[in-house]
Amino acid sequence: MFNRSLLLGIISGVLAGIAGIIYARIYYKINEADFSVVVSSIRILSASLFGGVLAAMGYTLLSRWLKTRGEIVFNFLFTLMSFASMLLPIAYKLPLNLETPDLFPGMVIPMHFFPALSWYTLKPLFIRNR
Amino acid sequence: MRRLSTPLLAIVLLAGSAFTFISADNWQIAEGYSITFSSDEASGIFKGFKGAIAFDEQHPATAKFDVTIDVASINTGNGLQNKHAKSDEWFDAAKYPQIHFASQKIVKTPFGYQVTGDLEMHGVKKPLSIPFTFKRTANGGLFAGVFTVNRADFRVGKPGGEVSDQIKLEVSVPVTK
Repeated sequence: MFNRSLLLGIISGVLAGIAGIIYARIYYKINEADFSVVVSSIRILSASLFGGVLAAMGYTLLSRWLKTRGEIVFNFLFTLMSFASMLLPIAYKLPLNLETPDLFPGMVIPMHFFPALSWYTLKPLFIRNR
Repeated sequence: MRRLSTPLLAIVLLAGSAFTFISADNWQIAEGYSITFSSDEASGIFKGFKGAIAFDEQHPATAKFDVTIDVASINTGNGLQNKHAKSDEWFDAAKYPQIHFASQKIVKTPFGYQVTGDLEMHGVKKPLSIPFTFKRTANGGLFAGVFTVNRADFRVGKPGGEVSDQIKLEVSVPVTK
């Protein structure tokens, strides 16, 4: 069980990271706002991977404790945590040499939902409901 | 003829001295200046700074500073805080787009110099003394000063709010001729 969810977490995390990097590039092209000093490609990838692995651990634990209701609670918590994490980029204080801090949340907030989206998309391929 | 030479010389010297001025050097504000403000709760920079600086270390009394800061250029590093700082709750950048300082008197002190002048901010004009140093550099010079401003004196923000009234300002202005 844990092996499957860990594999799902890693793969969905990597895919979320790739999506985040692509999104950051598109955002830069559209807005000319470069935040790569703060949010580098490596950081996007590692943060997404961390989110995926954390999700795998959470999913396994909740599924064991709550059995069939575990997935419902997990999905609810994962979405809620993704929403709550929006506060981090909103409150984040950038280095003062970066010109347009008002564009920073617009770039980072969508990325906070990528791990959850990726998890929900790939989950049927890895873990089938009984 | 000799009798006339001494009074004539005196008249020439007197007339000449009337046209002798001790004028301060004019300096141009160069790139790389920094106007930072800080308190325990808020900090940031102003990016827009311009003005006229006339200064001669040997004759500080003849110096003159007339500088402005663009309020809208404030950057706290956070978009929401920037918006808040420019709003009518704080600087009201739409109504008072500039912070203006004009010197009245500059004197030499044991630690450097002190300029006294009028600071106009948020529609309030008050006298302010700023200690500063001036160092000659390869390309010109560098003015630097650290001082505090009581934001409540200028009705910036609510007095006694989350942000302390005393705001520390650090100014570093490289200049060229």
